[in-house]
Formats: sequence, structure tokens, C-alpha cells
Amino acid sequence: MTDATFSPPMPALTLRGMIPALFGPDPRLAMLGGVLLFSMIPTGLAMQLDPRLFQGESIWLKPLKFEFALAVYLLSLAFFARFLPNGMLDRRALRIFSAVVIICVLGEMAWIGGAAMFGTASHFNLSSPVMEGIYGLMGVFAVTLTSASLVYGIAIWRNPAGLPDRALRLSVALGLVLTFVLTVIVAGYMSSQPGHLVGVPASGARVPLMGWSREVGDLRLPHFLATHAMHVIPLGGMLAARLLSPKAALRAVWGLSAGFVLMTIGAFVMAIMSVPVFPI
Amino acid sequence: MTPDSLFQIAGPIAMVGWASLALAPLAPKWADRIGGYTIPAILSVGYAAVILGYWWQGQGGFDSLANVMLLLSDPWMALAGWVHFLAFDLFIGGWIARQARRDGVPHLLVLPCLLLTFLFGPVGLVLFLSIGAARRAFTFREIEA
Repeated sequence: MTDATFSPPMPALTLRGMIPALFGPDPRLAMLGGVLLFSMIPTGLAMQLDPRLFQGESIWLKPLKFEFALAVYLLSLAFFARFLPNGMLDRRALRIFSAVVIICVLGEMAWIGGAAMFGTASHFNLSSPVMEGIYGLMGVFAVTLTSASLVYGIAIWRNPAGLPDRALRLSVALGLVLTFVLTVIVAGYMSSQPGHLVGVPASGARVPLMGWSREVGDLRLPHFLATHAMHVIPLGGMLAARLLSPKAALRAVWGLSAGFVLMTIGAFVMAIMSVPVFPI
Repeated sequence: MTPDSLFQIAGPIAMVGWASLALAPLAPKWADRIGGYTIPAILSVGYAAVILGYWWQGQGGFDSLANVMLLLSDPWMALAGWVHFLAFDLFIGGWIARQARRDGVPHLLVLPCLLLTFLFGPVGLVLFLSIGAARRAFTFREIEA
């Protein structure tokens, strides 16, 4: 990326100057992302103190993962916000939209953390009409908070001044829009199922760290791919803009995006058919 | 007056303070006066009276968890401990509301901090402190509500 793409000023190259320079363009989402990162500390300590398990893992592992994942998502949006039209985030409609997204993120975390505290399931919990109702509401919250990537993607595409390089702008915009579209498809389907696994694992063999099943289909894998379109495609676009002619770079971004969509759909179909992507 | 009757009075008094803090954007000065200072002071005065009257008969001490539990097993000391929570949690809530107003933290983010301070004292305080830390570490603009 060239310096011309950075609209905010670049303060001194220290950690204290770098972090605001990276995420400062959207202070509201950056702040919430920071709070979620900090909240991993008490959650991690609770994991050490509280011996309770849920499906073979500490009950606090899931809140910890969501804190991290939502922080990455919000800080990524805050980074991409530098390419939005000047002053867009200060407009009344966008301030209200940010507030709604923040409420949805806090609501999701309260639900996932609260369920962990009481040792029960958050997602897929249809044990009572209340839990079923909350699960439905959280689906609405999840779509709403994911729609921020759609809004940012479209606004960035329509703002050539923010990111003059066409291939790079296309990759950022397409990545963000695809994050929304693919995530809503995959996660929407997953939420209609009884759980994230398709099939019954025998040994419990799983991919390290990520936790995806190596025996049966695991819908969390295509969800992961879908949600990271906003990282993979812009990174590809950055390389293409550096290495190729403008025309070839544009074609490369379209090609990469098509390939990424196919890969995500492939992993999605495999999960539905109960085939593990990383078999034992 | 019994510890039970005083306990019954202390809760609603604290609630008035919390309500004023939750509604702080409507009347910041009054929220500060009522929830930030007056009610914590009233509760603290009540606490002082209980300590003056009943501390001498308390069992246990502060040197072990078992002794602290023994001390708090006396109804007057349990009442004192509870009013201590109410007064200090509310005072922290008042500080949060004041600080948030000074720094321009949106009330939308202050409300979860107040709710958590009301329910679990230090959890709300650390959430508010982390908002301030995140604001300083991750942004270079003032937050607009």
C-alpha cells in the first residue's frame, strides 16, 4: 500500500502513535474493539478459576473466542474506515447505525457470556421459549452487526477519492461485501440446524486451536472462511496492485474473489454433506 | 430499629441514586448532586452509626477468610457490610457518570458500566476503566455521542 492511500495523518512510528493511526478513523468501533480485547483478560482468568466444562471445553472458551473474533472484526472495520468518504461517520444516520451495531455487539457478548456463566448453551439453545426467543433475537443482532461490513464495502466502492487504486478499492469493497453475503448464507443455514456439527463424531478429533471436527462436517469452518473474505481479498488486492498492471490487477481481484467464493461454498457443501475438510 | 428494617430502607435509598445516574444526561447537575454525593453520604452516615453502635460486639476479624465470615455472620455487621457496598458502589457510579461526561463518553456505553457497577461493583468499574484505556490507546479523536 502506498502512503497516498492513508488519508489520516501518520504520527510518529511508536506503538502509541501507530495504534490510533491504524484504527482511529472510526473511533467508536475502535474503542469497542479495544474493550473486547481487554475483556479477554478477566475471561481468561475465569477460565483458570472455573473448572466447569461445556462439550468437553472450558465454558469460558466460547466467550473468549467471541471477544477475540468480534474485536478483530471491529478493528478491521475501523481500519477500513479510512477509505470512507470524508465526514461520513459524523453524519447523523451513521452515528445511529454505529450505536445500533454497538448495541448488537454488547447484546451478543452479554448473551454468550451470560449463558457461559450459568453453564448453559447460547447458540442452538431451544430448551425454553425464552431461550428460543433470545436465540432468534441474537440472530437478528448478528445479521445487523455483520451488515456494517456491507455498508462500509458499498461506501468505499463509491468513494474513489478515498482509495484511488481501482483494483485495491475493488478488493476492499468486494471483501467487505462478501463477508456480509457469505456469512449470512453460511451462518443463517447453521442457525437453522440443531448444532454446528453435521454428524456424530466418535473420537472427538479436532483441528488444533480452531476446534473444527476432523471426523464429521463442521459448519464453523465455512463460517470462518466467509467472515474472513474482508481480510483475504484485500490482502490479495494489495499484492495484485503492487505486482501487476492496473488491468491485470483488476482481473486478478475478480479471479481471487471468485475463487474465494467457490472455496467457501465448497467447504460449506462438504460440511452439509458431513465430510470433514481435514480428515484424520 | 432492627438490622432487617434498616436493610429494607437502605436498598430503595440507593436505588434513587442509581436512577438519577442512569438519567444523568437529562439533568447532569442533579444526578451528580443526588447520586454522586448526597445519597452516598446518607448511606455512609448510616454505616457510621451502625459501626459506632455495634462494632464492639462483633466476633471474628480481618486476618483470615474464616474470621471475616464470622464477623459478617452477625446481622448488624452484615448490614454494615451491605451498606458499605451500597455506598461505595454508588459513589463509584457517580464518579463514572462525572468522568464520562467530562470525557464525552456516550451514555450508551456508560449505562452498561453503571448497571454492572450496581450489580457487581468492580466489574462495572473495570469496564469503564477499559473504555477509557481503549479510547486513549485506539483512537485519536474525541468520541461524539
